[in-house]
Amino acid sequence: MSTAEPGWALPAILGRRTLALLSQLGGLALLARDLGRAARPEAGGLDRVELVRHLHRMGVRSVPVIAATAAFTGGIMVLQAAPFVEQFGAKDFVGFFATFVTFRELGPLLIGLIFNGRVGANNTAELATMVVTEQVDGLRALAIDPVSYLVLPRVVAMTLTMVALVLVGDAVALLGALGVAQVLLDVSLAQFLDSALSRLETWDLLVGLVKALLFGLGISLTSCFHGLRVRGGAPGVGRAVNASVVASAAGIFVADYLSTFLLP
Amino acid sequence: MILTEPVPPPDPGPPASPAASPAPGVAEAAVDLHAVSLAFGPKQVFRDLDLRLEAGRVHALIGPPAVGKSTTLKLIAGLMRPDAGEVHVLGQRIDDLSERALGAVRERMGMLFQNNALFDVSVGENVAFPLRRIDAGLTEATIRARVSERLAKVALAGFEERQPAELSGGQKKRVGLARATVADAALVLYDEPTAGLDPVTSQKIYDLVRGEQRATESTAVVVSSDVAGVLTIADHVAMFYEGRVVFTGSPDEARASRVPVVHQFVHGTLEGPL
Repeated sequence: MSTAEPGWALPAILGRRTLALLSQLGGLALLARDLGRAARPEAGGLDRVELVRHLHRMGVRSVPVIAATAAFTGGIMVLQAAPFVEQFGAKDFVGFFATFVTFRELGPLLIGLIFNGRVGANNTAELATMVVTEQVDGLRALAIDPVSYLVLPRVVAMTLTMVALVLVGDAVALLGALGVAQVLLDVSLAQFLDSALSRLETWDLLVGLVKALLFGLGISLTSCFHGLRVRGGAPGVGRAVNASVVASAAGIFVADYLSTFLLP
Repeated sequence: MILTEPVPPPDPGPPASPAASPAPGVAEAAVDLHAVSLAFGPKQVFRDLDLRLEAGRVHALIGPPAVGKSTTLKLIAGLMRPDAGEVHVLGQRIDDLSERALGAVRERMGMLFQNNALFDVSVGENVAFPLRRIDAGLTEATIRARVSERLAKVALAGFEERQPAELSGGQKKRVGLARATVADAALVLYDEPTAGLDPVTSQKIYDLVRGEQRATESTAVVVSSDVAGVLTIADHVAMFYEGRVVFTGSPDEARASRVPVVHQFVHGTLEGPL
């Protein structure tokens, strides 16, 4: 409930929101610092068993949903462009257009958002549940650092997984685009590949992978942060998941804008 | 000893560490809370709380709900820090230690949480956790043998591959107990070990707690709302009320206490200040 005097309600709200944002950013920075400390060999380093478990759980199990989404997205992209391609006789550009947009923007952005909804939300819920059921305190009581055991393998796994999933998603999206281009526009495989390879640069793919790396790191840190700072039992878990997904999605768009600006 | 005021530390002299050097004839303290104050926002939980728990005994911490019994366990385990005062555990002051430095003290402790805090891995892996993390040099065969032996002790032989979700409440408690004691800790903390269990299962849990403490000569600190049950195994009782310890003494002294709040709580009568 606002207690600000009349006329100061809006500045008070803005002030509170700004403080909340700064608090969140500060918390993320502290978590990143703790991660750096936990990653040092003398602190135990990375738990490889946990890493492999999370790579499988977060990566391998995400492939079907990522592939399905990417295939439809690639197809829809060409479907939307088809009338204009025919109108302007631009069949030679279909391969380039689809590949360029997929590599640089659509792949990392779309897969990032799906990854956030599936893996990020799940990660927050899992950690938050561990907090409210005292499992995190249980680890600490067993002299196990929760950041080292719980957070570090998840952050590494989610970041690597995001990059790998974007590579898989890009490939499947292009297959979808090629399929629709063949059926609707009569664009052959050779024509599609020639269009893409003659104009595309390696940098276009790398930009997308750098974005994937940034998104993966952001989603993992944000989801772990919100999971570990949950308060208020089961309802708190729901609030933490909601806050995590919203913050990560906003972070993805901000990071996308900045990286697009900085990586021409 | 029957008191209406908190127990003073045995040696209030100049040494900064009240647990460091007990006076001649005074048993070594496994836990010594000295002038501890703690507040959660506006709620003052403790104000100048003093509590000394001697080593090698079973201590029961009793009292009405929300008086800070579980919080005391968390202070002892270093899971929470006091706003003021000192917390000494196993001869070391821990309230000013870093999380990393606390690890060395926690390696000598075990803790059973109120809702067990079992991890989402098999029963065997849950019990093996302290051994894998603390005694990194143990072979896999040794770890498995110790896990099996510990599970057998809590009447859960052959449960290694079961998942916690498949267990009853009493079985989960016993797994938690096995995990808390598998590393032969010098100090074991039990937070409501019989909450939600039937009387027979509760007594079995108490017997396990007592048996484990006798076998290892460790120190057990048991927080329980089941006063009648916990008094059957305790050597020493401390009752919390309104942010302070209002009674310390033996179970017999607790039962015989004429302090109204202690008498009412221990005997479960309706008349009284509670």
